[in-house]
Amino acid sequence: MSVLKTEALKKYYGKDPNTVKALDGVDLEIQEGEFVAIAGTSGSGKSTLLHMLGGLDTPTGGKVIVSGKDISGMTDEQLTIFRRRNVGFVFQNYNLVPILNVYENIVLPIELDGNAVDEGFVDNIIETLGLSEKKNNLPNNLSGGQQQRVAIARALATKPSILLADEPTGNLDSKTSQDVLGILKMTSTKFHQTMVMITHNEQIAQLADRVIRIEDGKIVAVEGR
Amino acid sequence: MALAVTIIIAVAICFLTTLFSYRYVRKTFDSIDQVLDSVLARNTELPFEAAADSRLSKLTHKAVKIIQMNTMDISQTKQEKEIIQSFISDMSHQMKTPISGVAMYTDLLLEGRITEAERQEFLSRIKTGTEKLQWMMDSLVKMSRLEVGAIELSPVPTGIKQTVSDSISTVYGAAAKKNISIQTAYFEDISLLHDRKWTSEAITNILENAIKYSPSNGEINLSVETLPIYTKISVTDYGIGIALDEWNSIFKRFYRGRNAKGVDGAGLGLYLASLIFQKQGGYILVNSKLGKYTTFSMFLQNCKK
Repeated sequence: MSVLKTEALKKYYGKDPNTVKALDGVDLEIQEGEFVAIAGTSGSGKSTLLHMLGGLDTPTGGKVIVSGKDISGMTDEQLTIFRRRNVGFVFQNYNLVPILNVYENIVLPIELDGNAVDEGFVDNIIETLGLSEKKNNLPNNLSGGQQQRVAIARALATKPSILLADEPTGNLDSKTSQDVLGILKMTSTKFHQTMVMITHNEQIAQLADRVIRIEDGKIVAVEGR
Repeated sequence: MALAVTIIIAVAICFLTTLFSYRYVRKTFDSIDQVLDSVLARNTELPFEAAADSRLSKLTHKAVKIIQMNTMDISQTKQEKEIIQSFISDMSHQMKTPISGVAMYTDLLLEGRITEAERQEFLSRIKTGTEKLQWMMDSLVKMSRLEVGAIELSPVPTGIKQTVSDSISTVYGAAAKKNISIQTAYFEDISLLHDRKWTSEAITNILENAIKYSPSNGEINLSVETLPIYTKISVTDYGIGIALDEWNSIFKRFYRGRNAKGVDGAGLGLYLASLIFQKQGGYILVNSKLGKYTTFSMFLQNCKK
């Protein structure tokens, strides 16, 4: 079953004659459990595409269908709740809350949704990501790689079915990047998730089941493993 | 009088409260009942909004997830069947060539009108063909079992140094034949969660590839590096290299690189290696420059502290 689908997706900014066509008709289908990399040069539209898929932004035209539901027409409030329950985000610059420690950062989205924290599950994630000894540290006491691992743990904590990562290794050196990449692949398999990752790094993209190449807001190639 | 009125009003309020409570509870139970009905019928089109901030909506959302998990299990079983199907058809396809080779030479031998030299030649080709078939058969059986989970790898915390040495000794002969030296950078032994027998086989496959595609009299470098979550085993050869657009495909079953013509192989080594690492929560990356070098980096998880 396709868990993420776009139909003729368009995102335009500005007005003629200065319209910027960030996405210009993208048709995409991602199956459940797939690990997909979206690759392209700067400004090709890949971040915009990811934001559309995660409901962080609304399209100018076309549809985004998640698990059979058209989210393109949802209100802001509906989108917020939709995101909280279905999607986990990992960003290039981690976006951790600086005044909360590692554990608190990880469980924040769970508590925002008014749910009780599943301690066993969260401990499992923390252990899998090698953060057990850093549970009480503040983000500024962690290395880049460690901060990104906390961000990943946070994204996994609400057990989302979809994980969206925007250049997750962008701020990390090549060795740490390879480490983090392995974690993303491993956790998405272990927790039965669909993973969509943006990257311009060929080393990283090769681990995906499929690599979708974007240029000027359009898909130009799809390579498969 | 006032007392009587107060009592009547109090009773009325009690009565109304009970009535509304009863109706609310009943309505809630009816809604839950509907949600459970949908779960039983595997119907994800629930009549309630799953993206609102109410308790009912949270329940609905979880019910949808349960249904999805169920559906996923079913489709996984179907997928495994399809994997086996495609395996069998791939297998029969790949074996056609060596089998028809053997059949052809056997026919020629039976016909008889050949020289002694030709006879020897054909017999030795038949032998090579059957050896190749045997090897293919073994690899395919191994792979199909691994992929469907019929063979479970048994990863235990054990030193990686022994595993790497085992692989190097296995390929030593082949390397010596081409006068290739395998240089291993010194590394501290570290205990990794892995199945020694299978991991060693995977590393052997990577080394064999490196030897196959390396020029004679060259060298192959092997190094082991520990990162925060994984340990990386790298094998670098200075051979023909692999083009960027093939990086994803080389791990596919039966895939042979464009530059691989003239080198013996069935396209199974990398596939098998990648499967073995994946089954242990690891993975393999490749980095290469055409005509210059190829590095395969194999990652295994460190033992948890």
